[in-house]
Amino acid sequence: MKKLSLFTICLIILIGSWVFLEFVVGGVISVPIPNSVIAMYMGLIVIAILVHISVEDSQFREFLRPIHETLVDDRRRIRRRVLVVLIPVFLLFYSFLIFAQRANPPGSPRDAHPSPPLELTYKDEVIGTMQDVVNPYRHYQKDDPEAFKAHVENGRRVYHQNCFYCHGDHLDGQGHFAPYLQPLPANFQDPGIIPNFQESFFFWRIAKGGPGLPAAGTPWDSAMPIWEDHLTKEEIWDVILFLSEYTGYQPRTFGEAH
Amino acid sequence: MRIRTIALLFLLFGILAVFSLAYAQNAPEASERGKEVYENSCAHCHGVEGRGDGSAAENLLPKPRDFTRGLYKIRSTEAGQLPTDQDLFDIITEGMPGSSMPEWETALSTNDRWEVVAYIKTFYDGFKENENPPKQITLEGKISYSPESVDIGKELYVELGCVECHGNVGRGDGTSAPTLTDSWGFQTWPANLTQGWTFRGGPDTEDIFKRFIGGIAGSPMPAFEGDSFLNFGLTSEESKRLIELENKDEMTEAEEEESGKFYEKMDAAVDIALTIKEGGEVSAAEIQTYNDAMKIVYEKSWHLANYVKSLMPEKQPEPAIGNNVLRSQYVQGELPDFDDPTWETFKARYFPLVGQVVIEPRQFNPTIDGVHVKSFYNDTEVAFLFVWDDRTHTTADETDETTGKPLEDALAVQFPVKVPQGPTAPKPYFLWGGRLPVYLWHWKASMPEQVTELTAKGINNAEAQEVQGELEVKSDYTDGQYKLWVKRALKTEDKKDLQLDTGVFVPIAFSAWDGSNGDVDTKLTMTSWYTFVLEPVPSSRRFIYPPLIALLSIGLLFGLRAFVQRRNTEEV
Repeated sequence: MKKLSLFTICLIILIGSWVFLEFVVGGVISVPIPNSVIAMYMGLIVIAILVHISVEDSQFREFLRPIHETLVDDRRRIRRRVLVVLIPVFLLFYSFLIFAQRANPPGSPRDAHPSPPLELTYKDEVIGTMQDVVNPYRHYQKDDPEAFKAHVENGRRVYHQNCFYCHGDHLDGQGHFAPYLQPLPANFQDPGIIPNFQESFFFWRIAKGGPGLPAAGTPWDSAMPIWEDHLTKEEIWDVILFLSEYTGYQPRTFGEAH
Repeated sequence: MRIRTIALLFLLFGILAVFSLAYAQNAPEASERGKEVYENSCAHCHGVEGRGDGSAAENLLPKPRDFTRGLYKIRSTEAGQLPTDQDLFDIITEGMPGSSMPEWETALSTNDRWEVVAYIKTFYDGFKENENPPKQITLEGKISYSPESVDIGKELYVELGCVECHGNVGRGDGTSAPTLTDSWGFQTWPANLTQGWTFRGGPDTEDIFKRFIGGIAGSPMPAFEGDSFLNFGLTSEESKRLIELENKDEMTEAEEEESGKFYEKMDAAVDIALTIKEGGEVSAAEIQTYNDAMKIVYEKSWHLANYVKSLMPEKQPEPAIGNNVLRSQYVQGELPDFDDPTWETFKARYFPLVGQVVIEPRQFNPTIDGVHVKSFYNDTEVAFLFVWDDRTHTTADETDETTGKPLEDALAVQFPVKVPQGPTAPKPYFLWGGRLPVYLWHWKASMPEQVTELTAKGINNAEAQEVQGELEVKSDYTDGQYKLWVKRALKTEDKKDLQLDTGVFVPIAFSAWDGSNGDVDTKLTMTSWYTFVLEPVPSSRRFIYPPLIALLSIGLLFGLRAFVQRRNTEEV
């Protein structure tokens, strides 16, 4: 078998790396990689190849040889003619696609973890600092399981009278109103939601809703209502108990030692 | 060799047969586990005792099923029969589109779903008393879809009186549509047959056929059975002839006699049907008469199912999210008028509406599903065509009991007053603005040729603008569908108006009211922000630069070759 020329090897490495990044890493192994990241990796690979071929003069000449031959050698006449047609045709179509592209609206970045205020309030009443406030009914879980159950059941009622239209029967953010909302309602079955926040954070998000998001939480697209207008404090704490009981996820705590 | 292949094939068929038998399962005996799953997952809507009175039920329409009466809408069984266990299992597994019943396939294991089936059967004694398995509807003799069958179905649609509830073209806008109640006395709307994706039992022709034969228990939808089917016992020709005779102003004596014979035949057939229904004894000849009559009912049902199938698009339109934005198309000269066929030349964007549940009074049970929008613009003006389905035409004839305000159908189109610059710039609050104001076009069915321009800083804080711009408006309501055409100048003098520029992405949102559904003030259906743009005319650059680039590359290739050649000769 004929030995592959250095140029062909470099070409294979380049195309192979791109296929690997785009389809193997960004498809089989993980989620698709953004084009900008792929471009960065490809840039590094091109530099590495350039360094490799230009270390020695003879190496560089060997790399250039096929290009050289294609350009002037009469034995490569057919290849030359094919390329002189293919390259401009490719550029013609590719640039046409780019120029004919429609403008698309800017994506709206969204703060998935908006930073809460320092103080937790219900309407205008200050409950305490965000870090210290705990769910006043949480302790029943150990002290009085019957009372705890009653609070969870009340939370279940509150949830199904107010929340399940959007957040769904399964608490997965797929209620019957949900498919048409942007951004989608929170999915409490997602392991990244409940365990990552304190109960005071949930109280804040429920009480103040979309309009209560901080300036950094813009654009204000969330359809979450201001629930302090409709629910009592106890109802909000109870529904938080229900969320964690139904999903089996425990909200984050800062421990009793503090 | 050949024998072994045949043996293998037999084995394969055997396994398949066993599997297909196993497919139609029966529920296990009711158990504690079923009760536990039911109370954790179902009771909040259907009630602990299965009465359909859970805590969520109050704000739901259609209401959650009351299991204590044994009336099940979606069955594979004949009229008046209980569902099979498999029917119940399938509904739990797949959910009911167009209602708040979700699928439970992802949330409950197969075993738990069977346990729930067993448990809900304990709410109705009829399941225990009824030892014979329910009679299933046979799908044999299916008439496949064809334009001819659709045409026959279309005639039947009128003859059988479907029009009275479902309307001329099936949008659920028939004259008796607003008066319907179910067996529990709750209001119920006839299905909009153009929206197959909201059919509780699925949009396939077989599904629709089963609803005809089995009925939708508890709803006003009749089953096509012996004592209720039009001209039961007559052949299609006889039935046609009878309708023809009855439509005459005056009948001759011979004709009177002819129609009398038809009635005798029909009465005999209905008598047999009633006897069979009540479990009485019938002769072999009578069974033959009944089967012949039912065969015609089945045939007609297939034609009708094919017709209903022809009314709906293949799937629900995609909501206009992401890059799927509302793009206004540029035209030179006059913009297309209200009834210009030019509007038909491109596809509308679909904006699904949801109930407004943020501010009291809230709307938990919206009846308007969405609005379809198209737009054109020229150098000075922009025109929109809004189309939406509404089963009733309500024009402020009635007033709302609590607010005393007139109930009427309406649509509002919302834009920000100033377009947010950049992706992180805040938009106004999606519900009629807040700190940042919004600009609205408010159209009401009682004033069909007029749009009021509003400025709002909140849904309860909207004011009609002092300067009402020159908006041209035309509208129409036909067969359960509104069409609204609005034309405005791109630029106006009024600072409170939105000014439109080509290529700028503008947030757009909609609010809609269905007067007959009690929609008034904040009780409405709405969307959050979507995007609208006056699509720039594709620039001619795309025909200039690419050829230039191609030419340049040819030049470069030849240049490179010349360069290399020259160097070669120099080296030599």
